[in-house]
Amino acid sequence: MRVVLTGVGVVTPGVAGGRGELAAALRGHAPRGGSRVAADALASLIAGDEARRLSRVCQLAVAAGRLALADAGRAGADGLGMILGTEFGDLASTLTFVDGYLRRGPQGLSALLFPNTVMNAMAATATIAVGARELSLTLNAPTVAGDLAVARAASLIRAGRLEAALAGGVDELDPLVDEVLGAMGAGDELRGEGAAFVVLEAEDAARARGARVLGELAGAASRALPARVGGVGRRATSRAIGAALEQAGLGTGDIGHVFTSASDDGQRNRWEEALLEAALAPHRPPRTSLATRVGRHAGAGPLAVAAAALGAAASGPALVHAVARGGTHVAMIVRRP
Amino acid sequence: MTSVVVSGLGVMSPFGAGVKAYWNGLVAGACAIRPVTLIATEGFRCRIAAEVPERIAGSPRRSRADRLALAAAREALADAGLGREERAEAALIVGAVGGGMLEAEGWYWSRFAGERPKHTRELRSTLPLSHAAVLGSALGLGGPRETLVTACSSGAASLAIAADLIAAREAPVALAGGVDALTRICFMGFNALRLLDPEPCRPFDRDRRGMSIGEGAAFVVLEDGARARARGARVYAELCGYGMTTDAFHVTSPHPAGEGMVRAMRAALERGRLAPGAVGYANAHGTATPQNDRIEARALREVFGEGRLLVSSTKSMIGHTMAAAGALEAVATVQALGHEVIPPTANHTTPDPEVAFDCVPRVAREAAVEFAISNSFGFGGQNVTLLFGRAER
Amino acid sequence: MEPKEVLDELKTILATRLKFDPRRASETTMETPLPKGVEGSIGLDSLDFIELSIAIEERFGIVIDESEDLTEHFACFDALCRYIVSRVASA
Repeated sequence: MRVVLTGVGVVTPGVAGGRGELAAALRGHAPRGGSRVAADALASLIAGDEARRLSRVCQLAVAAGRLALADAGRAGADGLGMILGTEFGDLASTLTFVDGYLRRGPQGLSALLFPNTVMNAMAATATIAVGARELSLTLNAPTVAGDLAVARAASLIRAGRLEAALAGGVDELDPLVDEVLGAMGAGDELRGEGAAFVVLEAEDAARARGARVLGELAGAASRALPARVGGVGRRATSRAIGAALEQAGLGTGDIGHVFTSASDDGQRNRWEEALLEAALAPHRPPRTSLATRVGRHAGAGPLAVAAAALGAAASGPALVHAVARGGTHVAMIVRRP
Repeated sequence: MTSVVVSGLGVMSPFGAGVKAYWNGLVAGACAIRPVTLIATEGFRCRIAAEVPERIAGSPRRSRADRLALAAAREALADAGLGREERAEAALIVGAVGGGMLEAEGWYWSRFAGERPKHTRELRSTLPLSHAAVLGSALGLGGPRETLVTACSSGAASLAIAADLIAAREAPVALAGGVDALTRICFMGFNALRLLDPEPCRPFDRDRRGMSIGEGAAFVVLEDGARARARGARVYAELCGYGMTTDAFHVTSPHPAGEGMVRAMRAALERGRLAPGAVGYANAHGTATPQNDRIEARALREVFGEGRLLVSSTKSMIGHTMAAAGALEAVATVQALGHEVIPPTANHTTPDPEVAFDCVPRVAREAAVEFAISNSFGFGGQNVTLLFGRAER
Repeated sequence: MEPKEVLDELKTILATRLKFDPRRASETTMETPLPKGVEGSIGLDSLDFIELSIAIEERFGIVIDESEDLTEHFACFDALCRYIVSRVASA
């Protein structure tokens, strides 16, 4: 079963919309990481009554999910699943929940905030908002959570487990969270925020409803390389890239462009570059990294998948690659339909 | 079509270390729910939980949850007899919710009190993703690696996704399970939601008043059936199918008619190509909240009809172990098939007229069952049903 | 304590703990129903009711017994204010 990409939904600083808005943003100068989605931009996407019960990171996810389905032109949510990646989840609500107790005791605990202390809060509120009733998964990982979510969704569709999926990633920047993360010893890698979804569908179903197919997700694989917890490894043999290429029926020479997960973590960047060199040699297709522009967040991977689909007609098949400290790495092949 | 079998089990439970201690506790109908010792509980209505009782092996620099996970995972891998090369291709799927939050809370609490906590536990051991990082690195697991968070059904979701990986030949073998240590956030949150019973929970009892919290870890080795048999592995059971659905109804309340639960159970049966009548036992989600048990019983009745099916809740003995629950209960279900003994529902004294099933009250039951399901439901309406079949049928 | 004073406190709770827009909270009257789905109601669901109960317990120093059927007391603000006044008096 072929898996096609039929919709894009993005809410990042300066960008809110579908394929058109993303294409325009990619041509222009998307804001650097470190900035937040403007309050009025978010307020225009999530109305007051709904906003009352949704934390900010849930609002980002709900808004981007809706934009993606609208871009895909899918009227109903029949057969739709949700696979969402996140690194930090709703830590802002978690800290607010805890502070309520520390300041006021058991009666300062908010029942409304408690569900948000679990990382599936964004997927849960988004499935309710769009009415997606098939499986819903939240994947937690450093750096590659959004990539893993898209790859998992593609595998579920390919195996006939799902007809369609909203697959993406979300993370937010929050001053309170930043302060605590800093005190806990978080690195100074540039982080960003936003939510990005792609709509993936079984090709038959997409064609049957006359969907505007943006691209094909022809291969997806993930593996773990040997590495210390939180460290980069020495080995530079990516079995994920080979597996994804094999699934797509392509060779290394067919790749016209590579989207990497490079950010301002130099050690990790060098590891990823070594992995790509070893896997693609002697070919050296041009590289793009969105994370260096938008900052590291779980939406960056899905953004790269969408960008790869938008550019595939010009560049040929693209490899979307990401590797996290600790060794989890993901490879996806995106090509024109 | 690929069959997916269970070829290794590992458990850290409120009955202690190991699958044996766990199964013996369940068959005895013992209740491990006691006054909480790990965190302060002054001012809370409920002050009990099921804690893992003994010292947990492993470096004290690791979080309690990571140590629970590591101990259970090691037991499962050793039980399956997986060597270094097999582990290098093995997938690792971990269901998690609390991560290393117990230790992070300790740090945050002292910081709030104006102290300068010197031991800053690293951020990466706080998030749920920590367990997969620690297990993957320590055990040399080189296949796909994912941390799944589907709230209280996370442990069951990990087995379901691992089974998919094997069926799709993304990996020949997988270590899958769930883990959670007790955390203040979980304990405070369920207290705030008024979902906890001040006394040990009584699933499916007419007078039930809420759940009890527990902690633990369980991992299983899932493997391509042909491959397991070829290498002479002990096969505990077959994972014949699963169903995963979402209510898309409410963040904390299940759909009042159990619509998503019914779809999950039916999907599992459909994947396993089984009629409802073939299933003899349901290891229920059975949290003992008035709402869950009523709706789950209703959903079970809609799928399986009244009577016949034996239904019991492991949570009556070890509490609700959060992300570990689905995996611990999968182990209980697999053991029930193999040992031909159905673990009971402890603390169950007065039947509820709304629960149209034999809930195996207080005493384990000898029964040879060929197929059994394990239900897990979570906040956000995340429903998972796993369907297991006896190894020799 | 008068029901009118209780209503003012509840308006504050609606805005602070239940995150209602302050203007919407201030428009609440004794006749406004609470439960979601009722015509003209402020639209509270099961989770909102728990949050409201915790806030009432904290503000008025009473204990709300959730095993009791509270539907009637939480139907509209008039009923809720009278319930709180009587509970405070008997506390």
